[in-house]
Amino acid sequence: MEYVLDIPVEPPRELRSLFIPIPPEYVEDTYKSDDFLVLVGPQHPGSGHMRLIVRIKGDIIQEVIPDPGYVHRSMEKIAENRLYIQNIPLVERPAIMDAPNFNLGYVRAIEEALDIEVPERAKYIRTMLAELGRIGTHLYDAAILAVFIGHTTGFMYPFGLRELICEALVRLTGARFTSSFIIPGGVRRNADESTLKWIYDMTLAMERRLKSFERIFVNNPTVIARLQDVGVLSREEAIKYGVVGPFLRASGVEYDVRKIEPYEVYDELVWDMPVSDAGDGYARFLVRVNEIGQSLSIIRQCIKEMPEGRVISDQIAENGKDIRGSFYDSLSNIVLPPGEFTTLTEGARGTIVFSIVSDGESNVPYRLRIVSPGWLYLRGFMESLRGERLADLQAIYGSFGYFPPEADR
Amino acid sequence: MMDVVSYLYETFSSNMMDIPLIAPIVDFLTKIPLINFIVALILWKPFFAVIIMPGLGVMTLYLLYIVWYERKLTARVQWRVGPLEVARPIRGAIQTLADGIRYFFQEAIVHREAHRPYYVQLPILAFIPVLLPIMFIPAGSAVGIYTPYSIQLTVTFIALIPITIVAIGWASNSRFAYIGSVREAFMYFAYEVPFIIAVISMIFLYSSGDAYVAVEKQSAIPGALLNPIAFVVYIIAMLMATSRLPFEIPEADQEIAFGPFVEYSGILFGLVMVLAYEKLYIMTLLFTILFLGGWSGPYCPLLGDLNGPLWMFIKTIVVISILVIVRSIYARYRLDQALRIGWTSMLALSIAALVVGGVIGVWLS
Repeated sequence: MEYVLDIPVEPPRELRSLFIPIPPEYVEDTYKSDDFLVLVGPQHPGSGHMRLIVRIKGDIIQEVIPDPGYVHRSMEKIAENRLYIQNIPLVERPAIMDAPNFNLGYVRAIEEALDIEVPERAKYIRTMLAELGRIGTHLYDAAILAVFIGHTTGFMYPFGLRELICEALVRLTGARFTSSFIIPGGVRRNADESTLKWIYDMTLAMERRLKSFERIFVNNPTVIARLQDVGVLSREEAIKYGVVGPFLRASGVEYDVRKIEPYEVYDELVWDMPVSDAGDGYARFLVRVNEIGQSLSIIRQCIKEMPEGRVISDQIAENGKDIRGSFYDSLSNIVLPPGEFTTLTEGARGTIVFSIVSDGESNVPYRLRIVSPGWLYLRGFMESLRGERLADLQAIYGSFGYFPPEADR
Repeated sequence: MMDVVSYLYETFSSNMMDIPLIAPIVDFLTKIPLINFIVALILWKPFFAVIIMPGLGVMTLYLLYIVWYERKLTARVQWRVGPLEVARPIRGAIQTLADGIRYFFQEAIVHREAHRPYYVQLPILAFIPVLLPIMFIPAGSAVGIYTPYSIQLTVTFIALIPITIVAIGWASNSRFAYIGSVREAFMYFAYEVPFIIAVISMIFLYSSGDAYVAVEKQSAIPGALLNPIAFVVYIIAMLMATSRLPFEIPEADQEIAFGPFVEYSGILFGLVMVLAYEKLYIMTLLFTILFLGGWSGPYCPLLGDLNGPLWMFIKTIVVISILVIVRSIYARYRLDQALRIGWTSMLALSIAALVVGGVIGVWLS
């Protein structure tokens, strides 16, 4: 039973003074049809660096219009004025936790253009780095999900666990993240035995500690109550809205770039693709929790099966086993042949597309196109909010692990 | 004038707390004019119960303790250290005091949209329903106003507290404060009915609303064992009423940015922030009387009349210290889920508690 009160309602004046990307007629229409516009963000604790314009009727969300772009850093334009290798630190910046995967995608595009053969050992190290980045990102997203539904312990545990990943990256590359370790032709340095041993032990320690995280957060009845049957994307919807990565797999689509078009050494290792059919917030979270386990297993396999040998291609560094000392001489003046070179990489949050357009004569890219997973699944994220309650906004946000800097680039 | 003073002195000194431990000091001080009047007032039983223990004085101490303890406990669970830098030798124990001083000197902003008079005075007005129940909660022989309906009166004043919170949200006149007020009102109805029925079941059980009768009947078995269902309902209602996780719905930071209190800053925020803790204290005092034998405990002859208030305070602090661990265990329920819990399982449990209370009440008498 609905009671209609005939009270003239004026839209609040800040909806006119703020530059929001909706026409004034939409605001008028909302207030005339007894709805309410809630602007969540960009200074809201549960919005990240973006604004969500939420149209609600009572407690039910009718429509959500995203207003992204608050952390747009025009990376594609900046990349046009830099040398190819100077772009490596730049392309890592969209998602600093997931830096190895972004790095890998860009470097592979260059290698594809120049036909560089990467040594086996470097491929194993790259795979290991990519998986470390994936675990770090999944832990970060789990922490954000936890604090969005009010579970502070679930926030602190993954951040504590992520320190292990950071320590592993420090020992391997020298930086906690954004290490720019992957370069055209291989990696910067060789990894010594003690570091690999430490990382191997770290994966076992992390598996043990993940059990306590599962006890307190993943299997917590209040968490399941908050996430189950919330923000459901069916298989058809997920494909229609172009959702990618673990969120697509949570809706029952078996698509993973690492399986479909294997790069590096993914086809030589044994691992499963976690898939769920539920398509709700909890499935999206569980798929990523299971991926952490798979990634740990991949890292262990990498360390066990890593062959000896060079870590940089002899096309880049003819003499010497690694690039140290001759980095700038070897790589500063690479010029790509004319054409467009595109790579697909499976980042932690989904498919990353790198596309380099080269004119064949300059040592900077003519055009660099980056399509990050956040931008690809933003549409699916907005559609899954329809018909849910206002309190679910943050739960669904966390279940997608949406990261505005990554989407805005 | 002197007649009035001497009459008041007679009244105070005829009903003083008898504490053998400090008797020599009290005897010495009563010989000094004017000081003796103050000493007699402080040790006058109604004044002592309301202002010192278990009233205002120890409640302030409790607030300083519980905010620090909650943060420290949560930190320990979460592989952290917690507050430490303020007074390192005592592990940051005066962190709350430091925060309070900071609030005091911070600018209290009143935004343009607010209803200015209500916005400023409501945090202070909210203390009235918090402090009134203390008048009727006895602790041993120390009692503000003795009445055989003390339990009912306490529940009545506890039920007034959410009204001030809803009014605070209304006076703030902002989107998130409005949503928070509505949530508070919804939660209020969800927990209040089972809570009152649980208390009624205990009144049935003791066949009296008198706290003294309730404590006396628990001399053999505590109320928690006499009616465990009411015990459970009371604890869940307490978590709901004081916005503890998993029912921290009206002030969910990530969803509606502290709900009704979103616009407050400075000392006004300090006042509204401790409201929930004060409510928790009052409800736990009642909880101690109904389920844990109130002020009864091992008698120490040196403390005399202080035994009752002290035991009551210790029991209250222990119960609250156990309760605050829920913050590090649970996530937040959604509003509709919490309402469903309140109106179905909790209501059913409270009615079962009513039956149990009636049956055991007959058996006891």
